[in-house]
Amino acid sequence: MRATRTAAAVGVLTVLAGTSACGLDGSEPHTVARKHSLVIGVKEDQPMLGFKRGGTYEGFDVDVALYVAGRLGVPRDRVRFRTTNSSVRESALASGAVDMIFATYSITAKRKTQVTFGGPYYVAHQDTLVRADATSIGNVRDLKGKRICEVTGSNSWRRVVEERRIAARPVTAPTYGACMDDLAAGKLDAVSTDDLILAGFAAGRGVRIVNAPFTDEKYGVGLKKGDLEGCELVNRAITRMYQDGTAARLLDKWFGKSGLKLTTSVPQFEGCS
Amino acid sequence: MTPPPGQLAPATRPSAKPAQPGADQSAPLVTGISGNVAERREGRLATFVRGRWIHTIPGRIRAYTAAILAALAVLLTVLTVAVGNARDSVQTIGHDAGPQVVATGTLYFALSDMDAQVSNILLMGRDHDLGIGYDATLRVYERRRAEAGAAAVQAAQLASRDADLRTTVQQVLQGLGRYEELVGRALLLDQQADHPAGRLPGQVVDAYRQATDLMRLELLPKAYNITLDSGANVRQAYETKRSAVLSGRAWVAVTGALVLLLMIAAQVYLARTFRRVLNPAMVLATVAAAVLAAVGTGLLTAQAGHIRTAKQDGFDSILALSRARAISHSAFADESRYLLDPGRADTYEQTYLDKSLSVLYPDLGTRPVVLENYYTGLDEQVGAYTPGGPVRFLGFFGDEARGIGRGGPEADALVRTLRSYRTVLDNDRRMRALAAGNDRPGAVDLRMGKSSSALRDFDAYDAALRGLTGVHQDVFDQAIDDADGGLRGWSALPPIAAAAIALLVLAGVRPRLAEFR
Repeated sequence: MRATRTAAAVGVLTVLAGTSACGLDGSEPHTVARKHSLVIGVKEDQPMLGFKRGGTYEGFDVDVALYVAGRLGVPRDRVRFRTTNSSVRESALASGAVDMIFATYSITAKRKTQVTFGGPYYVAHQDTLVRADATSIGNVRDLKGKRICEVTGSNSWRRVVEERRIAARPVTAPTYGACMDDLAAGKLDAVSTDDLILAGFAAGRGVRIVNAPFTDEKYGVGLKKGDLEGCELVNRAITRMYQDGTAARLLDKWFGKSGLKLTTSVPQFEGCS
Repeated sequence: MTPPPGQLAPATRPSAKPAQPGADQSAPLVTGISGNVAERREGRLATFVRGRWIHTIPGRIRAYTAAILAALAVLLTVLTVAVGNARDSVQTIGHDAGPQVVATGTLYFALSDMDAQVSNILLMGRDHDLGIGYDATLRVYERRRAEAGAAAVQAAQLASRDADLRTTVQQVLQGLGRYEELVGRALLLDQQADHPAGRLPGQVVDAYRQATDLMRLELLPKAYNITLDSGANVRQAYETKRSAVLSGRAWVAVTGALVLLLMIAAQVYLARTFRRVLNPAMVLATVAAAVLAAVGTGLLTAQAGHIRTAKQDGFDSILALSRARAISHSAFADESRYLLDPGRADTYEQTYLDKSLSVLYPDLGTRPVVLENYYTGLDEQVGAYTPGGPVRFLGFFGDEARGIGRGGPEADALVRTLRSYRTVLDNDRRMRALAAGNDRPGAVDLRMGKSSSALRDFDAYDAALRGLTGVHQDVFDQAIDDADGGLRGWSALPPIAAAAIALLVLAGVRPRLAEFR
């Protein structure tokens, strides 16, 4: 009799222990909301956005990432940055190599099937950069017959030539940095891509952004697919960043001298899914 | 979330220290004589600590009884907590925050439609009979202004405990004041200019640009974020409460099993000791306890299901579709803006495409993402779509299509919505073809319904979309009704049942104890 009772008690205890353990573990384990430290993916070759200079990263994306991490309770010294190129962004999030991505990462319907996007923290627009003395180019339609930069692996030139059907002449270059040199050397007439990227290159080069935006590029915060809790917290952090004036200050810090029209009001969020 | 860990202790106490309550109960039976109270207590304690009483038959019976009653008390507590959690979640999603969040969605729609009406008024110029007419358009504008105000009040209530959200609501209200000033100026200039339809003088366009930029770049994003942010609170409450209900269910099952085990063990002991096969009161108590635990577990399972249905098929879909509706109206207004501001025609065409893509994103393969390809992609993929079949498009309607079955009211409503959406996009194609061919008056007449059914077609699309939302609203209401109905009476039932079971247990052991007096 006593044996039966003891066995029953042990059985009950086991089940109870199991139940409570499930209750704790079941509540979204993969979230940036409750992490002690964070690994953040950024670009290393975009001046003023994500740029690696002597082992440290700097730029608007980096500063925004640090602000958001701080609002998630992770101070600067527990944040590690990792160069994450465009082609590996989805796999780096899926494998857990990085926890978040701040790397001029445009939100698109297709990417949303693989990634949960917080933000956008800024809506950039495709715009056009010309030499300061080229006054004949006022908007994208004026690129007809002009030589524009076609950067290998970038789709920006297609948006002019294929989507806008403007008969510009693409000239290939390996990077946007090389485009800038070609523009200065007179081998090109214009460079057309995201305005923040252009602004990053523009400072002190004798060039001008025409301020005629023709697309919306929603720069989102890449999170592991399904991390809704983290995504909601990231959105609250971005809301606060615009409310407390940090966003305006950071935009001015990195792009204030570029002559670009900046938006300092919070963007419309994509919604966590 | 999970029942507090403190509950683990009471659950195990009966087997760990079975004697204590039994000793208390035995007091009036054992010592019926008068004497020094303190001395008697000491004596009783000494007897208790020595523990020899547990080897007596009445001691055993009392220990069993106490263990059963204690386990029953735990079952009652666990059941009450779990039912309380179920009640809370129904209240939050079904009656408080859920409907309020849906109401804030009206804010985005109303604001967006205010600007749409302004663009229509400016586009018609002195041709006051275009579209639904000048006066009717102004009335719609005023109605949307009132709706926006009412929705802002809802949002302010939701934001009462959230400083950042409150700031956003205030910024929207302040911005709305500025917007109305800018619109007033644009409308005044418009009247003074007395221009023909679709030919706005530069200063009217400039005045409207200021107003619409404020609306589209500052107010609408904030309004949209308010709904997202307050919706996030509902999602968190849902996750927390639902997992609390589910783990509550596990606890009810486990403590129910514990009660049953103890009852059966007690009966086996009684049967062996007193050579009686059945103890009718105990049998009845056992059956009642089994029924209580089973019905409680079943109730919690059903509640978790109702809440899940209300949240996923109701709340989430209603929010997503109301966003799709607001974005569609805003895209429709981009057609007016495209016509009235040729300087920004490219931009407004792009925003029209972006908004259309968020509503429905056909898989374009390697084709460039431009309106022309959008029209053909839409025709191909929506034309090939049958409910329950493969879905090749993304966006709000893609999510909706993936979430439904082969038939039923939802599938019918979706098919109607998709069909009318194609018609709307077809009108857009014809309108842009006219505008691109330098026939601006023709494009304006088409857009304003003078030479086409464009307005009626859009209304038909809007009605179909509202019908589809209505189907989800019905699902939501039904699930909340079921949840409310299921919980009715569950405040009183568990304690009454537990008391009855306790009485039956006592009635069952009393005659056996009486044999030892």
